[in-house]
Amino acid sequence: MSNVNTVVFTIVLVLFVIVTAVGFLAARWRRPPVMAHLNEWGLAGRGFGTFITWFLLGGDLYTAYTFIAVPALVFGSGSIGFFAVSYTIMAYPIAFIFLPRLWSICRVHNWVTPGDFIRGRYGSRGLALAMAFTGILALMPYIALQLVGIQAVLTVMGVNASSTNTYVKDLPLFVAFLVLAIFTYVSGLRAPAAIAFIKDTLIYVFVLVAVFYIPTRLGGWGHIFGAAQTHFASISPATGKPIGTFIPTTKSTGSTQFDFATLALGSAMALFVYPHIITGTLASKRRGIIKRNMSLLPAYAVLLGLIALFGYMAVADPVTAADVKKAGNAQLAVPYLFQHMFPSWFTGIAFAGIIIGALVPAAIMAIAAANLFTRNIFKEFFKPDASPALETRMSQWASLVVKFGALVFAVELPHTFSINLQLLGGVWILQIFPMLVGGLYTRWFHRWALLTGWFAGMIYGTIAAYNVKNATTSHWAGSSDIVFGHSIYIGITAIIINVVIAVILTPILRAARVPEGTDETLPHQYTADPEDAPAPVPAGVGAHLEG
Amino acid sequence: MNQPYTTPSTPSGPQGPPITNAKRPMAAHPITSAAIFVLVAASICCTLIVPIYAHITPKIGDWPFFYFYLLAYMPLVAIALWLATLLQRRLATPADGSAVSDAEVAQ
Repeated sequence: MSNVNTVVFTIVLVLFVIVTAVGFLAARWRRPPVMAHLNEWGLAGRGFGTFITWFLLGGDLYTAYTFIAVPALVFGSGSIGFFAVSYTIMAYPIAFIFLPRLWSICRVHNWVTPGDFIRGRYGSRGLALAMAFTGILALMPYIALQLVGIQAVLTVMGVNASSTNTYVKDLPLFVAFLVLAIFTYVSGLRAPAAIAFIKDTLIYVFVLVAVFYIPTRLGGWGHIFGAAQTHFASISPATGKPIGTFIPTTKSTGSTQFDFATLALGSAMALFVYPHIITGTLASKRRGIIKRNMSLLPAYAVLLGLIALFGYMAVADPVTAADVKKAGNAQLAVPYLFQHMFPSWFTGIAFAGIIIGALVPAAIMAIAAANLFTRNIFKEFFKPDASPALETRMSQWASLVVKFGALVFAVELPHTFSINLQLLGGVWILQIFPMLVGGLYTRWFHRWALLTGWFAGMIYGTIAAYNVKNATTSHWAGSSDIVFGHSIYIGITAIIINVVIAVILTPILRAARVPEGTDETLPHQYTADPEDAPAPVPAGVGAHLEG
Repeated sequence: MNQPYTTPSTPSGPQGPPITNAKRPMAAHPITSAAIFVLVAASICCTLIVPIYAHITPKIGDWPFFYFYLLAYMPLVAIALWLATLLQRRLATPADGSAVSDAEVAQ
């Protein structure tokens, strides 16, 4: 720890302590008479208004990994990294279409997870299990990646570079994660909701300052774009092709426009199907709050666009570019850029923002995965008569297990493994899109047809992703493969296979009179907007404070 | 599957009711419905169709068109979805009496 900058370290530490305190105090925020209910621990009383929902969803959608990985991709490959900007734009109109319906139906029936909806809509425990399985599978590496984001910052801070022993080296990471695990256990969704205020404020401040200040240090935007354009046009000695693309091209030089568009569309469709985002959505009080937030949240997408540009700033700054090259890790681009551009006290704020930015989504992801496990696996298959109190306790413990699983993931496995799994996570999550979003509109699909389609999509997506190779790696080299001469995001190909199978099998199964399952939902419930929490909750849960 | 197949006694079957119920406000306000559709569809398509904006020129200040377009797009999506929300309130006709309502109507 010899080369640690004291100012940076102190600021990060102080902000972390503040966040920890807020995390524990959050348990008292809007405190209900009965805390031992999943509506309380897992959804914070389902009472959040527009303001809190904006902060919560914003903190939930844009993870620390986003702040690290998107600029890293831009730094390494150029314009293809901006698919992330395109996809966050598209995510809102897509979510605007189906998310209010999902909120309404879950509110009316008091459902906590997307798996509950699948169970009620199709009368199928198997399909709900598929949903829960996919959700947990996709969330684990995602949480692990939050840790990778924290590690990138800690590495540049010099905190964990001194020892060769993994566990000594990552001690600060363990401490941060232990604190996160405990306050999530105690406060449930209230903790990330409260911390999201601090996170979002810090992120907004450092991104806006950086966007106005760094270009003045680097000779203006014209120079930054010019340097990037020259850099990505130069020929890479390893492949004999240009390093990247400055504008998505129609030629097949790695990043084609079709690739860009399908990546953006697939990721946008997956975004609001991720269980942790649905958890954040279901915590809001009214249907209108969801819609209003779809037009307020793009303010965050602006932020992401600016963050992506940090990748070009890192290219344009020779010192940063050299450091990243020396470390051989593009993920260090943003931390190095800040360290070189800013005085230590501001670097401290920015680093704290990224670390805290990891804690909010990691907590919500753990809660979402825990709720899926409790509701759709534990209660469904092992203890159907579980009381709300038992469910809550189960979820609390499951959240700890999920987090420590992710920690082992992040520390034991090579980082590329987590990144590949996260990439696969998007492909996997897309495979529940037909049953979830399709189910919000129609019962036409047969449940077994959906299950078969899901299975085929999962298998195809996994194999296709495994087989992607490039000049330097033989497997998991990217998220796109070539179909009919076009480079297409694997998730899109997989979901097409998924839907085609479901469409073909549905009439066959129906003709064979295979049982369709009971539908618990009524048409008008999809547009309902109940003011109070639904009836079947224990006393006190329905009481809401204003706010 | 643990659930035996039962014919739903409630009007929740896969056929009929959802469609008729959902169509009612749309049929009552065809222009408003179309406007909402156009706003949402345009929000998606104008970023999905990459050739529209994958150009370096015209530059806006120092910004290549591609990057300027993506950043300028976000406030526009926000406005488009906000307009769509406003229009959707008009779909929920009081005379209809159906459960199609928004928080805003009640407030």
